[in-house]
Amino acid sequence: MNSETLNTLDSYSKNKYKYGFVTEIDAEKPKKGLNEDTIKFISQKKNEPGWMLDWRLKAFSKWKKMKEPKWANLSFPEIDYQDIYYYSAPKGFEKKPKDLSEVDPKLIETYNKLGIPLEEQKVLAGVAVDVVFDSVSVATTYKGELEKLGIIFCSIGEAIQKHPDLIKKYLGSVIPPGDHSFSALNSAVFTDGSFVYIPEGVHCPMELSTYFRINAENTGQFERTLIIADKGSYVSYLEGCTAPKRDDNQLHAANVELIALEDAEIKYSTVQNWYPGDEEGKGGIYNFVTKRGLCAGKNSKISWTQVETGSAITWKYPSCILKGDNSIGEFYSVAITNNFQQADTGTKMTHIGKNTKSKIISKGISLGKSQNTYRGEVSFLRKADKARNYTQCDSLLVGNQCGAHTVPYIDSKNNTAVIEHEASTSKINEDQLYYCRQRGLSHEEAVSLIVNGFCKQVLQELPMEFAVEAQKLVSISLEGSVG
Amino acid sequence: MNIQDNYQKNRKNIFFSENKDIESHREKLINIFENDSFDRKNNESLKNINLKNFIDFKYKYLIPEETSVINNNQENNYSIVSVNGKCSTFKDDKIEITKILDEDYNDFSENNTIEKNDHFVNLNSLFLNSGFKIVIKRNNNIRIKISNIVTDDDLTIFQKNNIICQEGSSLSLIEEYENKNNSTSNILNVIKLEKNSQLNHFLIQDNSSNHNLIITSHSSCKKDSTYTQKVYNFSEGYVRNFHYSELIETNSEADLQGIFFLKDNNTSNNKTFVKHLAEDCKSNQVYKGILNDRAKATYFSNTHVDQVAQKTEGYQLSKGILLSDNASYFSKPELKIYADDVKCSHGSTIGPIDENAIFYLRSRGMSKIAATKILISSFINEELSSIDNEQMSEIIQKKLVRYLSKVK
Repeated sequence: MNSETLNTLDSYSKNKYKYGFVTEIDAEKPKKGLNEDTIKFISQKKNEPGWMLDWRLKAFSKWKKMKEPKWANLSFPEIDYQDIYYYSAPKGFEKKPKDLSEVDPKLIETYNKLGIPLEEQKVLAGVAVDVVFDSVSVATTYKGELEKLGIIFCSIGEAIQKHPDLIKKYLGSVIPPGDHSFSALNSAVFTDGSFVYIPEGVHCPMELSTYFRINAENTGQFERTLIIADKGSYVSYLEGCTAPKRDDNQLHAANVELIALEDAEIKYSTVQNWYPGDEEGKGGIYNFVTKRGLCAGKNSKISWTQVETGSAITWKYPSCILKGDNSIGEFYSVAITNNFQQADTGTKMTHIGKNTKSKIISKGISLGKSQNTYRGEVSFLRKADKARNYTQCDSLLVGNQCGAHTVPYIDSKNNTAVIEHEASTSKINEDQLYYCRQRGLSHEEAVSLIVNGFCKQVLQELPMEFAVEAQKLVSISLEGSVG
Repeated sequence: MNIQDNYQKNRKNIFFSENKDIESHREKLINIFENDSFDRKNNESLKNINLKNFIDFKYKYLIPEETSVINNNQENNYSIVSVNGKCSTFKDDKIEITKILDEDYNDFSENNTIEKNDHFVNLNSLFLNSGFKIVIKRNNNIRIKISNIVTDDDLTIFQKNNIICQEGSSLSLIEEYENKNNSTSNILNVIKLEKNSQLNHFLIQDNSSNHNLIITSHSSCKKDSTYTQKVYNFSEGYVRNFHYSELIETNSEADLQGIFFLKDNNTSNNKTFVKHLAEDCKSNQVYKGILNDRAKATYFSNTHVDQVAQKTEGYQLSKGILLSDNASYFSKPELKIYADDVKCSHGSTIGPIDENAIFYLRSRGMSKIAATKILISSFINEELSSIDNEQMSEIIQKKLVRYLSKVK
């Protein structure tokens, strides 16, 4: 590596997190710590029916007996679950505002700083935004239009009140509360999140979107998202996050469940840019996310796309259970880690039905002193005749203090199923760099171009609304340390 | 019988039981087994096997009556018959065969590359009862063939061999394991390659269905040395091949290859691990498996590149063919990379025999079985044709024909 590279690397790695600011809003919190009282408090605050509280308490009793999963290649101090606030709602939000004018102007300001003003969002091509600020849904737009089609798009709290049958049937059906300790924790204390139901045969006309934001200090966010696509329907869902700068580690343990019935298709896209900690590795979000989709019916399809640039720790495996015959699972991922970030991310494709197909494209980019791991499991069960998988995971290393790891688990129990896996790890190609520079690009422009090309396969899977933001994010993450 | 009783009862014919340091280490190992305190769930060495069968065993070892033969039939050619893991001492100006010594005991337990949670290695350290040490002297070019023979039923052999190739030497080593009796061999190999030395290591495994073979090896390569290992597993009994390789000085190479042919209820666990600790080193890990009937196999491969190991090239390939609905194959090709100027890749495929290829052959008048057999042979042809040792290649061809004759 030449000295110029090192210089740019150096100057960029000192770039500060652009979205580091804190909105001062009085937050109403229960006491710190996790116990039955906390859960009862949350349930009461959200005005939940009794069966929901029982469900939470059952999950909590499971959590008490569980240990954190240890497989990931991550190192972090032990999480003190008793030192966290489990509920934080901006004051005066127990009664929901009817439209944007009723929303606290300070909140609006926060979004403006982030570059995602609600006003603008409303105008943006058909995006209905269900904004989650801390733990309570702040405003929901485009609701009426969706209602006409019979689409339910609301906060999970609202769904528990209004659609208890759907919740009882599907909540926890893909990720059982006892799956592992983070799913049990989430099941016990989840406060908000989105609920989507697409009725039979409906093609959702717009991309549904939620922006998450962690705000109050020491507040773990425990989102719970449930998306159900009934027979023959289609939905594309966007999730994006930015978090303000804080020194204390913040815990985020979300659960996302997707259910696709016969002939249905769900597309779930994420851009994640939580606060990653400063250049010394201080602070940052701990992101332990469980995302799982169930292709329950024949010919169903679930597609995950993620761009992961933030968080001090990312622990995330969006997976697909391909149960219905001919169902399809896809996973596209770009993970960029810088400074002291650690990411252990990947997917799990479980082929149960006949003729099921899955495709995994994962791109990891490590910079600074970060560690980036791809961990994925592909398994063909005995009855998955003619199942097919293709996996490609490439890693790019920038600088000699970071690490890139690939840990695939490949299990085949069917002799008609075909599985293919390939992976490569390398640094940025000198020849490509030379070519670009020869044509007048500066060093970091050249690198940015090459890295964008490296990620292209994944970025092109993102919906239009997101593609721009994602590309910006990739550039911002690289800006610091391209070399 | 439990571990503690087994050990106390048979201390007499276990190596180094007089040595206090070793004794205290062994006590710790016994404690691990007694307390059952190890991680069973995420343990690679335990996948598909029932550890209980290996822990609750009856210790039995016979010191061989017939002495092993060292036969220098042609110049630079040696033929060794190791009986129950033992071999008599021998010395000439080219090679030296001796007993293993107390100081060799800790080679495995003190090495960081080797999985600590491996009970077969622990069992071996506890019950060590045989083994030998071969030194190839400087600048010699030697061929050695070792036949590993087990004389009786129900023997439990815990063997440890050291192979040292001194500077500039070159060794072609063929090891044969062909045993028909009901016994268990648990073997550790420690291989050291000094500067500019070479070792071509062939392992042919062809045991009957009630013979268990557990081989764990560790090789370390110094500057400009090359270690090549080729494992051919035709066994009907359980076989475990775990091979660790460390490239500790520049320009060294490790090439770990294996092919296994499984049928019936057979199980095989395989693992290769290459650790790059210096610049400009190369490694290659290729395992291919053919699984029929209810056979089960696992293959774990791992390339670890240390921060200082720039200009590394590390490749992995794992391929499996499943011939029956009940066979299963698990592979986990891992890359752990801490240096940026590297070229590392891995590939893994599992599937049936290509239907289009079968169709092509059948359309030319071949029966389905004949077509299948041809395609299996071609699947491993690359590895077989690269064997430069005629004698070896002949042996393997014969065994392949035998395996194919049972494919239906």
